[in-house]
Amino acid sequence: MTFIQIILIALVVAIGLLYFFSLRSRLISRMTALALIATGVLFVLHPDLTNQIAHFLGVGRGTDLLFYLFSLAVSYGFLLLYIRIRALDRKVTDLARTIALELAKEPADNA
Amino acid sequence: MGVFIVIPAYNEGEVLRSTVQSLLHHGYSIVIVDDGSARPANQWIRGIPVHSLRHPVNLGQGAALQTGTTYALSKGADIVVHFDADGQHPAEQIPVLIQPILDGECDVVLGSRFLQARDRRLVPLRKRLLLRLGILVSGLLTRVWLTDAHNGFRALSREAARRVHFEENGFSHATELLEHLREQRLRYREVPSTIRYTEYSLRKGQSIFNSVNIVLDLLLRKLIK
Repeated sequence: MTFIQIILIALVVAIGLLYFFSLRSRLISRMTALALIATGVLFVLHPDLTNQIAHFLGVGRGTDLLFYLFSLAVSYGFLLLYIRIRALDRKVTDLARTIALELAKEPADNA
Repeated sequence: MGVFIVIPAYNEGEVLRSTVQSLLHHGYSIVIVDDGSARPANQWIRGIPVHSLRHPVNLGQGAALQTGTTYALSKGADIVVHFDADGQHPAEQIPVLIQPILDGECDVVLGSRFLQARDRRLVPLRKRLLLRLGILVSGLLTRVWLTDAHNGFRALSREAARRVHFEENGFSHATELLEHLREQRLRYREVPSTIRYTEYSLRKGQSIFNSVNIVLDLLLRKLIK
């Protein structure tokens, strides 16, 4: 095992476990996290595997395949974040509106 | 008939006071919604008998209109009129705007700068081209074809105001309204409206870049509910 492999495996496991424990009770998310950790470690230990899968899928190199998957994952992440932000926006709007309506001043208060 | 004029205000100046004063003697109820201005809009309407609300944070024009409309309904409004704070809509045109609702012919009446040649000529050329584009895009997105787009001067019957709920907080609410018109099968009509462009109102108005944003907002809205 090379030095870089040790570092990468340590990081993958650490980040994966953090993610695993921060996901409350969503079983599917937890299983996905575990699967991702396992795949990450496997690829670090056997880099040639990515090449073989890439060739099988018609992609030139394993690195390219990983890069494509990475791009997809990032886009998906942004989309999820965007949806979350929109939902949050709506909550802030409701909150601000409730406060504004609660504290509304009548013409008599103003004159 | 309780007519409520809802005026969203964000960082407006002295002009807010004159706009409100121009409305006062018509006997309408006036609702000012301060959309989280840096310096509270209250200072401009001191001593004037209006309803005043304030968003604790800035949300956008659409959100302010919705807050004002919800409030007006809770006060028993029969007709809700949306009106710009910057004095570009003449108060004298409100009776024309609300007449079709009073007659029971329409649920929503929209002001248009493009029904009369003399109103049209007041619109700066660059703005006119931009609005043409806006009409086209709004029409394609909502399948509601109007002669004007993003005219802030409009009246809603109580029933229409109850059924239309703006979810777009920003300027995209104007196009969102068209969607509601179609989905809720509301009867609508356009009436001529004059916009008095002043240096102030042009400065406060929307830029070209904002129009692009509006289109993107609405496309996203179609994709992600």
